[in-house]
Amino acid sequence: MKMWSKAFVPALVGTLATLGWSVTSHAGAHGGMDIPMIKATALMEGLDNPWDMAFLPDGTMFYTEKCKGLSVRLPNGSVNALYGMKETSGYADSGSDLFCSGQAGMLGVAVDRDFAKNRQLYVYSSSTKYHGAGCKTNFERCDGNIVMRFKVGADLKSVSDRTDIVKDIQYKPFESNQPFGGPGAHNGGRLRVGPGGYLWVTGGDRHRGICPQDPKLLCGKVLRIDGDGNAHPDNNPPAGFDKRIYTYGHRNVQAIDFRPSDGKAFTAEHGPWHNDEITALVNGGNAGWDPAEMTAGRGACPDKYCGYEPNQKEGMDPAIRAAYTPMSDTRFADLMPATWNNMGWSQGTGSAAFLKGDNWGIYEGRLAIGIMGIGFGGTPAGQRIDIVSITPDGLGINNITRMPIGFSKRFRGLAMGPDNALYVAVDEGEIYRVSAEPIK
Amino acid sequence: MTKSFSALLAFTLVSFSEVSLSADLSAGEARYKESCINCHGPAGKGVASYPKISGNTIAYTTEKLEAYRAGIKQGPNSSLMIMMAMPLTDEEISNLAAYLETAKYK
Repeated sequence: MKMWSKAFVPALVGTLATLGWSVTSHAGAHGGMDIPMIKATALMEGLDNPWDMAFLPDGTMFYTEKCKGLSVRLPNGSVNALYGMKETSGYADSGSDLFCSGQAGMLGVAVDRDFAKNRQLYVYSSSTKYHGAGCKTNFERCDGNIVMRFKVGADLKSVSDRTDIVKDIQYKPFESNQPFGGPGAHNGGRLRVGPGGYLWVTGGDRHRGICPQDPKLLCGKVLRIDGDGNAHPDNNPPAGFDKRIYTYGHRNVQAIDFRPSDGKAFTAEHGPWHNDEITALVNGGNAGWDPAEMTAGRGACPDKYCGYEPNQKEGMDPAIRAAYTPMSDTRFADLMPATWNNMGWSQGTGSAAFLKGDNWGIYEGRLAIGIMGIGFGGTPAGQRIDIVSITPDGLGINNITRMPIGFSKRFRGLAMGPDNALYVAVDEGEIYRVSAEPIK
Repeated sequence: MTKSFSALLAFTLVSFSEVSLSADLSAGEARYKESCINCHGPAGKGVASYPKISGNTIAYTTEKLEAYRAGIKQGPNSSLMIMMAMPLTDEEISNLAAYLETAKYK
């Protein structure tokens, strides 16, 4: 028995922890390792594709529903519907130009750093307002995504002063011959306020081959702008690029957050049946996605988009796909190498948030990342939230632990609350509060 | 002898026919949770860009799945659905269609 107690049990617990199993009740056997008790509780249910959340210091939570609009949940649990999309009802106001289709709709939301003074809020949505002469085919410019700035009323019952601070993020208007080929594909959409109070906007390639490497189109880019939509003065994209661009060469970024220890930006994005990626961003860097046809040794591709080649109809070894159209193409001298690539799989990375607060114990400062689960061609669906320990240089990982919340859903939106809990929106219609408490 | 045998044969045929035609909702639900749920969400409610597929008649769902299985394009996500439907047996389609007819999410 003594042998079990002194040697076997710590070894067993260590092994379980390495495997990512919850060992909270054995924390004492770690000789002080601070593994928290993690618990998920449904905060809201019955929502329509909740997509993103943003918080005020008192716990007030703004949230978006992809095809409905912007609402706010007050700390007492009551909800005010603030700004709806076309043909919605029950909202204090609405935008007749706002619409949803496929992956597009009302997506990211972020609170201004100086909200207490200016009451400003930012929202990403699809809009018909700036289509202009474009949008007649999938092979031309279609400015169908915008970033709006609102002023939130003192009573939190309405918003006003809508100003469209970004009007020219491209949108896919028509179905194409691709998997996930409907309108609105690869629409990006996450908003976060980063160091210095600047707004970061993530984009997708909208199934257009030239987007990610094009110097002027905003599809497949990450933007860093101020509250009026102007470029950060220190943005450093290559010569000839739109100055709002912080990084380019992205496929479909729905996750961005900033490491608490140094403010460094990290994104996560979906892979094309191979290599979901986390990337440490470098000012002006290239994430290395280039699905254009007739380039990099490729010939013509369906609808001029090589993103699912060489075989978009059936499952095949992800490594073969990765060699044909890499997520991080090493032919680019300014490539930002991936921090993590999901073991070569694509399972759909939805959102990510660095865990803040010492209540998270050993997980404090690690990146929580939601995997929505797309199980095609032999890839396991893998719906989960991973906790990723990233190396100080941002170029690799130390380890990954699966967050022990006890269920699997399509984890779309992750955001830290002011109470140091992680809030998680799932496509199924719920928003969960995931708490971590020390058990010492 | 003849009458008894005929009656037994008729009963057997009818019973066999009913068994072969009746769908197994539980098996349909189990099959749904193997793969369909990853995109269409619990109980076929529809999530993200994937449509709601519950609440349709058995005939409708069966027709759709059989068409996908045959490689027939039906909408923008056909490539995915054809791939997912290819391995389905007649029995699995029958069970899935029956389950999805009445499936409801909380």
